[in-house]
Amino acid sequence: MPTGLADVLHDASVLHRFVDFIGEYCRQQKRSQTYVGSAAVFFQYVEQLAAGIQDELRREMERATRGTPRLSTLRRNMRTYRGYLRLLHALIKPAADAHSLTIPGPLVDLASQQLQKVDGMTGSRLLILLTTEFIYFQRPHTDVKGQARKVEEFIPGASFPPKLGFIEIPYSQGPSFFTNLAIYHEIGHFVYEELSNRNPPHAGFRSLALVKDRCLKGTFNRRSLVHTGTHNAIRAGRNRQALALAERMLENWTQEIFCDLFALRLIEPAFSFALIEMIGMLGVSPTQLLRFDPDHPAPACRFAQHVKLLQDDSWWSEIQGLQAEQRQFLQESASIPTRRYQFFVDENHRGPRRLLDAFVTDLTPAIRELVCQLTSRAAPSVERFRRTRSDIQGSFRAGVVPLTDTSDRRDPVCIINAAFCFYLTAVPDVIKRFERAGNENNVTVHCEWKDRVEMWTMKGIEDSQVMQRYKDVRRNGPF
Amino acid sequence: MVLSRYEILSRMKGDIDRPGRLVITPLLYKDEDDVFDADSVDLRLGCHFLLPKALDQPFFSPDKTSVSSLYVRAHIPMGHFLVVPAHQTILGATLEFIKLPEDVSGQVLTKSSVARTFIVVETAPWIHPEYRGCLTLEIANVSNTPVLLYPGRRTCQLILMNVGGQDGQQPPGAAAAHGGGVKSGTTYFGPVYPEGPKFKDPQDDLLDIGVTRVSTLRRGELRRQKGRWIDEACEPQDNRRARRFRLPQ
Repeated sequence: MPTGLADVLHDASVLHRFVDFIGEYCRQQKRSQTYVGSAAVFFQYVEQLAAGIQDELRREMERATRGTPRLSTLRRNMRTYRGYLRLLHALIKPAADAHSLTIPGPLVDLASQQLQKVDGMTGSRLLILLTTEFIYFQRPHTDVKGQARKVEEFIPGASFPPKLGFIEIPYSQGPSFFTNLAIYHEIGHFVYEELSNRNPPHAGFRSLALVKDRCLKGTFNRRSLVHTGTHNAIRAGRNRQALALAERMLENWTQEIFCDLFALRLIEPAFSFALIEMIGMLGVSPTQLLRFDPDHPAPACRFAQHVKLLQDDSWWSEIQGLQAEQRQFLQESASIPTRRYQFFVDENHRGPRRLLDAFVTDLTPAIRELVCQLTSRAAPSVERFRRTRSDIQGSFRAGVVPLTDTSDRRDPVCIINAAFCFYLTAVPDVIKRFERAGNENNVTVHCEWKDRVEMWTMKGIEDSQVMQRYKDVRRNGPF
Repeated sequence: MVLSRYEILSRMKGDIDRPGRLVITPLLYKDEDDVFDADSVDLRLGCHFLLPKALDQPFFSPDKTSVSSLYVRAHIPMGHFLVVPAHQTILGATLEFIKLPEDVSGQVLTKSSVARTFIVVETAPWIHPEYRGCLTLEIANVSNTPVLLYPGRRTCQLILMNVGGQDGQQPPGAAAAHGGGVKSGTTYFGPVYPEGPKFKDPQDDLLDIGVTRVSTLRRGELRRQKGRWIDEACEPQDNRRARRFRLPQ
């Protein structure tokens, strides 16, 4: 046996066993559970990849033992496989956990359908992951895809599913409905990453980059970045660092506002309410409400943008009279003057005020415009909401799921918004109507009823999807 | 009196809070004949199931805490199937959500075509007035072979009957008696998935009729002590407590 071959054989067999486990694990999950979104596609990919890597390892080892050792190449390839499998390893288990019994399937289906109507996102898919963190998160996919491309050179049989986004949901929130509307914000991150990293980038994102650049130019004097003399060089160096930091912060804020507005355009005020619920659960102090940090714009600024967009889309007038503290909070946050916003780069140090002002005055309108442009086909109709809202809420009040077999089509987004408004304001009324006297202030009874409203909402969406599919078949004939 | 197709359809129209209003949603049909018979309406199988699972104890005790140990949940999307093994019973639910008015009760029966495959739907088929929810179906495969169930297919039929009061009066216990609505209490109210039974503990049930001594079957652990096995579950509580806190002499 040539020198080093035994070591490589050992490494190859360890990798082979690891890959074998991963492939078998994915096969088992597909068999034992049903999945919404694109988990099945993802598992299929991992299975193909595992089989491909095993074949490749066997082939290379045979070649090496036949006397044409390419050990260094094989070692390098194995390093590439291991690195990539480490990335996938972190995704497979959370994806396996997110089966149709642990996540709100109808909501994920709805979001996937809506995503197809977003400009440039046709054919995109969502992979839901259950996480142990108490946050919703979009796991950046550019790195995974970059590595997948490298591996594809050796394993041509396994190509990474195109336009696949990874959305993480806290495992404790899996089956609940309203808080999970926060996934729309994360889908916004997916869209942002997909369209801005595209080659060439989406035209709307190119224009946004220009506005961002103008904001930076307005904040930093470019001349101070030019190297002249020792003293100035240090200053210029510092300024360059500051510019890079500012650029990163501006990018983070832009992305956050983009994602909020994107979510709003797809599910309208229900998203604002969901975000307020989340913030309520996490706990935000009045100071934090006004504070920009390097990663996030101030919540007050975010809510101000929500209200602006809702006003532009005529949805604000529909919820303005809602007697709920969430609506009041939204309105109060939005009415805080921008001069009261604060910007801290860390716990004690303030950031440049000019950057914050430039962001609020110049960049946010551009973000709004871009979002509206991208979602022009996906945005729901406020007119339909106006027509169907009281009927949907009437169903809840009568202890019934929203009726979907009516002449006026029940749009799922209308159901979600009507249900959320009902959830925020009218649960005590139904408790009074259906429960025994004395249960009005019983927290368990309240929980049961909130669960019911969520369940009925989900059933309403599911029914509306079933009905739509049925009507499509009737209209177009069987496939 | 059994409600006719005409009566069912006319009760399904109008304001949701109208007295006598019946809800069956979503009803998928092009022609009424697709799902309506002269005196019944076909219901479809939903996507959620409760399947019996191997218990972690040698018996099932119908009490407050044991119910969750009896089933495992399953979701079968439309287009997929569920295999019901021979001689096994599972719980499913109708795709349709039902709300019966205060003067109507109903009965769920297996569709005859389904029954001829030795599948029996419902052994407790009665639905009371003012029931709301998807109907939980006990689906038994009484044949010698496994049978496939497809969610979305028509599986059972609902027959509705008028609950007549005396001389055409509203029946007792109807909406008026409660000041305009059913009270959910602890019963099955508005489920959209199949639901397991809700039991009180047997001692609480029996106390209602004056029974104050109730046998229970407990499984404790055996502990080896002084050359013999002690059953911790059978040992008197007081002795155990006394031993645990005994002070050194």
